Amino acid sequence: MVDNIAIASLPLPEFAKVRYSGWQLDELTPATENTKTTYFLKNTISGIEVSGQSTTYQQLSENMIAQGVIVMGMKQAQMVYGPLVNKLIGSVISKRADRLSAQNYEQFNTGIFVYIPDQVKFDDVLHLTLNHLAMSGQDFVARIFVCVGAHAKVTILQEMHTIGSEKTKASVVIEVLANVGAQVTYANIDSLGEQTTAFINREVLVKDHATVDWQNAEFNDGNVVMRVASQLNGEGATSHANVIGLTIKKQTQGLVTTVLNKGRHTVGHIFQRGVILNRSTLVFNGIGQIIKGAKGSDAQQESRVLMLSRRARGDANPLLLIDENDVTAGHAASVGRVDDEQMYYLMSRGISERVARKLVIRGFMGEVLMKMPTRAAQQKVMSEIERNLQYEDD
Amino acid sequence: MTTLKVDNLHVSVAGKEILKGLDFIDNTGEVHAIMGPNGTGKSTLSQTIMGHPAYQVTQGNIYMDGQNLAEMSVDARARAGLFLAMQYPSEIQGVTNSEFMRAAINARRPEDDQISVMSFIEKLDEKREFLAMTEEMAERYLNEGFSGGEKKRNEILQMMMIQPQIAILDEIDSGLDIDALKVVSRGVNSMRSNEFGALMITHYQRLLDYIVPDFVHVMMDGKIVKTGDANLAKKLEAEGYAGLRDELGLDVHLTDEETNSYFVED
Repeated sequence: MVDNIAIASLPLPEFAKVRYSGWQLDELTPATENTKTTYFLKNTISGIEVSGQSTTYQQLSENMIAQGVIVMGMKQAQMVYGPLVNKLIGSVISKRADRLSAQNYEQFNTGIFVYIPDQVKFDDVLHLTLNHLAMSGQDFVARIFVCVGAHAKVTILQEMHTIGSEKTKASVVIEVLANVGAQVTYANIDSLGEQTTAFINREVLVKDHATVDWQNAEFNDGNVVMRVASQLNGEGATSHANVIGLTIKKQTQGLVTTVLNKGRHTVGHIFQRGVILNRSTLVFNGIGQIIKGAKGSDAQQESRVLMLSRRARGDANPLLLIDENDVTAGHAASVGRVDDEQMYYLMSRGISERVARKLVIRGFMGEVLMKMPTRAAQQKVMSEIERNLQYEDD
Repeated sequence: MTTLKVDNLHVSVAGKEILKGLDFIDNTGEVHAIMGPNGTGKSTLSQTIMGHPAYQVTQGNIYMDGQNLAEMSVDARARAGLFLAMQYPSEIQGVTNSEFMRAAINARRPEDDQISVMSFIEKLDEKREFLAMTEEMAERYLNEGFSGGEKKRNEILQMMMIQPQIAILDEIDSGLDIDALKVVSRGVNSMRSNEFGALMITHYQRLLDYIVPDFVHVMMDGKIVKTGDANLAKKLEAEGYAGLRDELGLDVHLTDEETNSYFVED
């Protein structure tokens, strides 16, 4: 049963310079909606689509099946692999990490479970699609766990959508465990709806000589706080956390990207780019922390924000916390305008100012866009940018 | 026929006067070369014609067939038929080369008559092969990770796709090896016709062996000091800019005079 008093005593997760306590993300009523409709994934794509309580697509390549890859809805996984699932959940993001994560742990009733055995390699991209059905007005509480075995090499593309337009909340916690020598690219396109107020927390635990790169695109239309974190626990663990975000209308997106260098010779790079329109607010907090003893480690971060409206609010706050001398670290942050030289170049070919601006803005986020693992995902990010920029003149 | 006319042009950059009364006419059907020592204002001229915001016209005018460019934005100048192959083209991630060129072509066409994908690809393949560029280059992001030579080729590819009336080629030869120089020259020469005029800005006579100009102008200290035919460039190669300056009796200090390095590659 939910221990409400214990959870309520935990602090809210910290998103500096974002006021979100009024969003009431700690009061959730988990939705129980089912559907038979498949929304996004089509045959031949390897992956799973979970919509509300229902698994609406499930297909793995023969290669994945032969190598023993397990991908299933969280409820089914708890029934089939109960002890394993229960042991793993909470091992990356602790059950009591903060009030919202703890609540997610107690209340989640849907999600995805992925288990990739040691040594597994596949070239196709594993798609994990999570759809929040916002028809009843109840809330989406989902958990994802991805366990990547030692020396496995995989690419994952996760997408989140809202189906329906009822005013709701969402809490999604994603844990990734990258065992020794694993190489993981984990791309996320979050596009929750305007009426969905969300807490998203994703974290990876990176063991010895493993590499995990996040490619995150935040195109939610509602108010969202999102945290992405990498714990570099093992010797030589590496993580690049790339995040792009775009805010429109009156929404607020508060983003925290954290890399914790715990092991020796660990490398953690944070790269964030945001575009802010209308009266919206976008806050990037980057936290690079190197603990004492993590000798030879490297923590770098770069956060840049483009403000396209005088009424918009943007913040890029880099924070470096370093308790070890034998390290390299650096940060850069800026809040700026559209690149004039790029505008000039495009316009010198006859392209109108309006079109040139769109292309330059897309270029501003290009570093992450071009790292999206599939052509379709790149296209999706481009069209999300396009869709959002139509509000520029509002 | 289209005419680019520069009339008594004075230009300042950050408050410093660079062009000091420059006159010049380029008609379609003609290829002009402007040569001159470093720091004499050659690139200022090309950027000013195109409309770069950092260059301020303090006196004089530039006309394309009677239209005063001062009243036209950068994109309007381009649509009026001007093209500038830049010395340092921008890199833009997330925008592919072919998408960019298609947008440039469509900007010149009415909304209801945009170029079809098929005819665009056909045209692109033809020009690309002419310049010995790989198919993959078209799908790469605009100038992103291109070598110096690839960027120059890409500028020429854009020119061939857009087919401007007047093209300014700003040091299109810098950083090119001899093979790439030949390819780029072949591209420019293929454009030569009564509907196309070019203005090449260069330090070196070498380029003019491959693209033979109808007129050669020598610029010093913000003005054209001498105009001749292709032989003038050969004479310069032999005697240097200091020789010409002394012959004309000009009181001009050349930026690199001390080091005697007018023809050193940059």
